[in-house]
Amino acid sequence: MSQSELKSRAASVEFRDVTKKYGTEVTAVDSVSLQVAAGELVTLLGPSGCGKTTTLRMIAGLEMATQGQILIGGADVSRLPATDRDVSMVFQSYALFPHMSVLENVSYGLRASGQKKKQCIERAEHGLDLVGLAGYGARLPSELSGGQQQRVAVARALVLEPQVLLFDEPLSNLDAKLRRQVREDIRDIQQNLALTVVYVTHDQEEALAVSDRIIVMNNATIAQIGTPRELYEQPADRFVADFIGEANIIDAQITAVDKDRATVIVGNTSLQLDARGLTPGAAKLAVRPNRIFIQTPGDDAAGLAAVVEKATYVGDRMEYKIKTELGELFCTSEATDQAIDTGKHVTVQFDAVGPVLLPRGS
Amino acid sequence: MKLRCRIAGAVTLALMGSAGHTIAAEKLTYYCSAQEDWCQLMATGFEEATGIKVNMTRKSSGETLAQIKAEASNPKGDVWWGGTGDPHMQAAEEGLTEAYESPMRAELHDWSIGQSESAGNKTIGIYSGALGYGYNEEILKANNLPEPACWKDLLKPEYKGHVQMANPNSSGTAYTTLATIVQLFGEDEGFEFMKGLHKNINQYTKSGSAPIKAAARGENTIGIVFMHDAVKQAVSGFPIKVVAPCEGTGYEIGSMSLIKDSRNPENAQKFYDWALQADVQSRSLEVKAFQVMSNKTAESSPQAPDLASIKLIDYDFTKYGSSAERKRLLKKWDDEVSTLPR
Amino acid sequence: MLSASRASRAVWLWMIVGLVGYFIMPWYILEDGFFSFEWLDGYPFDTDYAPAAFLIAQGEKLWLAPLVLPLLLPLVVIGNKDRQRFSTLLIIAGSAGLFYLFAQGFAIGIRGFNAEWLGVLFGELGDRQFGFGYGAVLLCVAFLFYLTTGVAARGYINGDVFVVGAIGFIISIVAIFIFFPIAQMLSSALRDNDGVYSLAVFVAKFSENKIWGLACLSENRGCGVAWNSLFLAVIVGAATTVLGLVFALVATRSGFRYSNWLRALTVLPIITPPFVIGLAIILLFGLSGTITQWVAGVLDLQPSRWVYGLPGILIAQMLSFTPIAFLVLIGVVEGVSPSMEEASQTLRASRWHTFKTVTFPLIRPGLANAFLLGFIESMADFGNPLVLGGNYDVLSTEIFFAIVGAQNDQGRAAVLAIILLLFTLTAFYAQRRWLGRKSYITKTGKGDGGSHSLMPRRVMWPCYIIASIWVIFTVTVYGMIIYGGFVETWGLNHTLTFKHYITAFAVGVNDFGLHFKGSAWDSFWTTLKIAATAAPLTAIVGLITAYLLVRQNFAGKQWFEFGTMLSFAIPGTVVGVSYILAFNVPPLELTGTGIILIISFVFRNMPVGVRAGIASMSQLDKSLDEASLTLGASTWRTFRKVILPLMRPAILAALVFSFVRAMTAISAVIFLVSAEYNMATSYIIGRVENNDYGIAIAYSTTLIFVMLSAILLFQLLVGKTQTTRPLTQSRTNVG
Repeated sequence: MSQSELKSRAASVEFRDVTKKYGTEVTAVDSVSLQVAAGELVTLLGPSGCGKTTTLRMIAGLEMATQGQILIGGADVSRLPATDRDVSMVFQSYALFPHMSVLENVSYGLRASGQKKKQCIERAEHGLDLVGLAGYGARLPSELSGGQQQRVAVARALVLEPQVLLFDEPLSNLDAKLRRQVREDIRDIQQNLALTVVYVTHDQEEALAVSDRIIVMNNATIAQIGTPRELYEQPADRFVADFIGEANIIDAQITAVDKDRATVIVGNTSLQLDARGLTPGAAKLAVRPNRIFIQTPGDDAAGLAAVVEKATYVGDRMEYKIKTELGELFCTSEATDQAIDTGKHVTVQFDAVGPVLLPRGS
Repeated sequence: MKLRCRIAGAVTLALMGSAGHTIAAEKLTYYCSAQEDWCQLMATGFEEATGIKVNMTRKSSGETLAQIKAEASNPKGDVWWGGTGDPHMQAAEEGLTEAYESPMRAELHDWSIGQSESAGNKTIGIYSGALGYGYNEEILKANNLPEPACWKDLLKPEYKGHVQMANPNSSGTAYTTLATIVQLFGEDEGFEFMKGLHKNINQYTKSGSAPIKAAARGENTIGIVFMHDAVKQAVSGFPIKVVAPCEGTGYEIGSMSLIKDSRNPENAQKFYDWALQADVQSRSLEVKAFQVMSNKTAESSPQAPDLASIKLIDYDFTKYGSSAERKRLLKKWDDEVSTLPR
Repeated sequence: MLSASRASRAVWLWMIVGLVGYFIMPWYILEDGFFSFEWLDGYPFDTDYAPAAFLIAQGEKLWLAPLVLPLLLPLVVIGNKDRQRFSTLLIIAGSAGLFYLFAQGFAIGIRGFNAEWLGVLFGELGDRQFGFGYGAVLLCVAFLFYLTTGVAARGYINGDVFVVGAIGFIISIVAIFIFFPIAQMLSSALRDNDGVYSLAVFVAKFSENKIWGLACLSENRGCGVAWNSLFLAVIVGAATTVLGLVFALVATRSGFRYSNWLRALTVLPIITPPFVIGLAIILLFGLSGTITQWVAGVLDLQPSRWVYGLPGILIAQMLSFTPIAFLVLIGVVEGVSPSMEEASQTLRASRWHTFKTVTFPLIRPGLANAFLLGFIESMADFGNPLVLGGNYDVLSTEIFFAIVGAQNDQGRAAVLAIILLLFTLTAFYAQRRWLGRKSYITKTGKGDGGSHSLMPRRVMWPCYIIASIWVIFTVTVYGMIIYGGFVETWGLNHTLTFKHYITAFAVGVNDFGLHFKGSAWDSFWTTLKIAATAAPLTAIVGLITAYLLVRQNFAGKQWFEFGTMLSFAIPGTVVGVSYILAFNVPPLELTGTGIILIISFVFRNMPVGVRAGIASMSQLDKSLDEASLTLGASTWRTFRKVILPLMRPAILAALVFSFVRAMTAISAVIFLVSAEYNMATSYIIGRVENNDYGIAIAYSTTLIFVMLSAILLFQLLVGKTQTTRPLTQSRTNVG
């Protein structure tokens, strides 16, 4: 089948001050507002318990918001149960019906919506074709590999041409190699069919790789919304900086601000950075491990003096834990061939781009 | 099976449409308190004789009375046949049954008519049996016990743990025993007798004929029961000897009553008359029922205890059948006899 | 909106049902029974068989006319976009309809107005009515679902019509068939013989010496029945628990190769009709029993009637109820994760120490559970004390004789039933409060690896010995049972004969074809029919309830659960008594029908269906239902297409259990059987009463084999859910 046969009916999703409480004690989601444009892939990212899965389930209608409004395609669906929402979901466990064949699984939703049997089978076969499983229709889910099961789950959700397609940690049961492959497939399908996708994961790398935009959640609220690059390079706060990739949080001093450039003193070095609206005074600086350069004394020795406390070889790079006057820092070096031994005295320099000032109070 | 036939019948009926006005089968709901096979015999016999479909329930007379009482506001049964007379008398007393004078009355023994009249014609005797006891000869011999012949013999200390009777609270038979002893010896001496007997009793059974059945199976030695029940065990081949106590004894009249406000009153009357016929009553022998039947010309078994040869007391059915007297005696028995140590 | 149209569709459906009930089906109960079709004759004008509408058209039973208003009321709002108005009107229609339906049913009975003040208020009626029939039931159902649909439209449980409907339905039937009869019984206990409410009478009956007397402590006399029952139940609970544990250990921890046989053997008593074990014990241990005589001969003792009374009941109940404890405990013992024990052993604990400090504490809650089950079963047991009780009176038999005996005192029966109920409910409540959902079962669902360690030797040998004795005993008892069906007269004439089987199950040929001549056929077919009807109903009600409990959240769920599990703690005799009191008069006029037997079985066995359902549903990943919902399937479709097929093992368990229980139950049945619907067990009790042990035993043996084959049949019918199959097989057709 040609992919154009599956029509996109992608619609936007909007949360207006949505709160979800369990009982009176637990607030899983605390007045969250967000928007997902039609045809966009947005990831909900955060540590476990941050409310991302609850948010996703509220879009699906599996949980009802305690307060606030949920709109899909501009229509208020806040009180509509899952059955009646035009939303499909791919579950972490895939949730394939073990007693039905692959084809029966994929055509299940079509049958439920009352379509003719023949048409259902045709469309289900097209769906399987789309995920590369043509000819597997007669098998039982238990006869497929994990990756194949995952794709059946995707096909089952896709054939309904939902307004919004939801993924709940779809890759967590796959091994590392397969994960990359499947996430690319998902991204391809999403872009080819221009689907609106909301995707939940706790894996920041996965999130960075597939998303148009990422919503980082923490403690039932949204920490930051932005494109992968924005999040990585301009984290809104310490939590985001640390959660999206690793970051060293270092005390720094802003001495001067000129327009939106700030002069920042870190230890005995000085950096020119984007001011991000800060005024002179004490500040926090987030520096990615790969933005810290280590030099052995023999080299040009300007920079922060440090001692290597631990050096670990992890294949494609070296990981160092070093001690400086600013505290312990974590940095990486791709120069695996020139590994520096533990106990060596070194100097440290920061990359000119990469370190980023964090807003105060974060 | 039955269901399928009915469905088939219904379909046929539906096909025939309203034109075919078939006659709904005539029915009779029949409560029976005699032994199962006798009940069956009566049911099938009546069906054969009249073509009326009989629905039978067999329950003990106490159970049946309870059921009729429970259903009083919406009676389901039509006729109640068999079982000791007292519950029938009680039902008559409580207005649960209908008065009826059958054309068959002329053929009946006086004791039957007498009982009927004392209940305002709301019940009628169909058979009678005398109280007595039976013992298992083998066990008696094995224990080197003398053969008892009188009521008072049962008080002998050597019979300790060998006598069984039913609990008068739960069994009509045992109540008849209590009433008989009271009438025979007078109330005070009668209760002294019951107290003495209590020492020898190994178990008060719930059901009236259980003591002799236990004796038949060798689970007991002496059982105080109606003599026809003991005869039946003897005839079945068990080593049971039947005793008509020398002092004399009481008797029961097995009765039949028409239930008040029933759904098929005409069929019930038909059954009533039919059940009093001599040929019908003679069939009791087919099921080893050795009672004396109420129709004078009904045959009786040579093995059946001949009421004429037994010393029968003049049992006062009216007095001892009344609820008040029954309650008083039972309470007295409960308080004075059953609480004694053994 | 989609769900609004779904609600509207539901309303249409129930309105049609209601219209059929009002205009087409006979309104009143049919004298010939629910399944009879004799009413087609004379329909629809014969007032006995007429639908409500025809009755009114003929100017009869005019008080039924107002019912048409709430029935048609939803027409005003159907398809209305205003959900608020839609739901309000539905709720009004449903509740008003239900209220009026029952009010007229209770107000006007077989003798006109049921209460005098009604007569005073409205004047004498001069008319009467019988109980609800098809028509009234259908209308009642329609009103009920109007109400639930209205509540769902309010947004209750996400506005789910199916779930709210199911909750409403279960609550209604539990209220009608569990709480209503119990309430009737309580009220009858509070009345004196003339029907006047009197607390004094109740107190007098309740505190009777026969019930609470303690004479057995000081004198050579029996104690009160309440103490007897309690004492017996405690011993039986403890003994069956110990035995059950022993078997569970032997089956799982002894390396015993034939443990499958052991399991099969322990299932036998469950499918054995009542009395049979009691009879076999009399034949073995009675005064003239084989073993008694042999022992007396060898030791030169005087044989005695020792077995009648506490010892006999105890032996019989232990034989009967140990399998229940076994089934509870084997799950628990198997549930203890081997890795826990292995962990203990790698920590240098000896086998005995491991058993004592790890295994045993982990199974302790299971032991408490088994004890309480044994306790409740013993309290409720009716057959064994009846046969073997001697002078040891217990509550269950005392209740029976209070009703059927010469004393014939329903009030006393009700009082005794209340005491029995208090005991079992206390045990039931203790079980739930104390154990709650606390479970140490350590199964994770993940491959646990490892295997169960064997028992330490000092536990193993006693277990082996106890288990062997029990096995030998059970085999002997069942050997006696089979043999007993083939001898002329037990104890007198041991000639082998087929006589009893022929009397009971003879088949002849007459003009109309096959003719079942045997005396047992009638009750046999009735029993099969009723058991086979009750089993699927029990499974359905049980599974729907389990689904609501596991998968749905709603206010009052705890009470809902308590209510549905309650009937487990209500002894059969109590059910029997309360059903007679509650369902003998209109509007619910069920005594003497097959329906009342079916209903009593459904509600007696419902807790087991619920339990089986809960157990198996908690193992189903919740995301399966959610996947189905997000794929646009309704909850009802999800239930049918996803949950039910995956619950086959639970369905099978519920089916088998309720079928078997319906065939072997006696305690409630004995009160509820009637001429047309006589059950096997009540037929058997009649034979036992009549000293026809041969036929009783022959019939029971037949029943045992029938049940075994039925279990196999169910297994075939329900089949195994196919979720895996060998790759070599390929499927050619796709559904």
